[in-house]
Amino acid sequence: MRVRQKGFVLIAMSVAMTLMLAVMGLAFDFGRIYIARNEAQVFTDAAAMAAASKMDGTDEGLNRARQAVAKLPMRWNLGTKAFTGVMVEFSPDKQSWARVTAPDNQVEITFLRAVGGPAVFTVPAHSVAAARPVRLVE
Amino acid sequence: MRKKNQRGHAMIELAVSAGVMVACLAGTVQFGYTFYIYNELVTAVGNGGRYAAMRTYRAAGQSDIEKGKVAIRNIVAFGDSRPAPDAVPQVANLKREQVRVDWIMDESGKPSAVNVSIVDYTVDAAFGMFRFTGKPAVEYPFVGRFAPAESEP
Repeated sequence: MRVRQKGFVLIAMSVAMTLMLAVMGLAFDFGRIYIARNEAQVFTDAAAMAAASKMDGTDEGLNRARQAVAKLPMRWNLGTKAFTGVMVEFSPDKQSWARVTAPDNQVEITFLRAVGGPAVFTVPAHSVAAARPVRLVE
Repeated sequence: MRKKNQRGHAMIELAVSAGVMVACLAGTVQFGYTFYIYNELVTAVGNGGRYAAMRTYRAAGQSDIEKGKVAIRNIVAFGDSRPAPDAVPQVANLKREQVRVDWIMDESGKPSAVNVSIVDYTVDAAFGMFRFTGKPAVEYPFVGRFAPAESEP
């Protein structure tokens, strides 16, 4: 009986710690993932609007659209990391719509790794904006 | 004697493991809630930025520009440009005054972009406080109508 009792705390602690790490992972890592996703979405929304507002049917307009996207100061990962690998695509007629994709936002996982989660989780976002808004807010 | 000794072990084990567990739980609650609030702020600021970008910029006088900014702050804080006096903020305890709106003007004096951010907002997450200032922030290009001679209704 005494022999069996000796390992109990060890087992109980390891089970409890694993569960604890999973719970911490859900709160901490998922929290960061959702924030990164939201930040990326807000960025692509603004970037698509910036790109679309510069389009005028010419290649020069497309260049200005790309510059406008590159100039946006928004960041992700709680406002600390610049967006990388941002893609800007345009409608073939160069004046209807712009699509911005931020494909490369890799959130580093802290706690969920300990219970079998991945090391990084990618949260891409994309937005499309029309170059001529049909309705403006007054 | 042995029995007594073992009971002491259990007490120490409980004290040590409970300390670790409570610290972990407190941290989970604190960060979980703070991240939740930060995420809500990102959404609110994004909505405010979008509204500001599409809103008519009326600039007959300084008071019209200020009224426009108040409407944008209201969108961030309440999701409504003219909230009821008893409106509930979208994010816990967020006040209109904690939303900052900066217009970025081009050489000709027309607004080219708008920057909306949160200043001096404190999250009270039970076990600790976090203060956000200048974050989250968004910058939207101005795509609305520029009306330098009009007044806010």
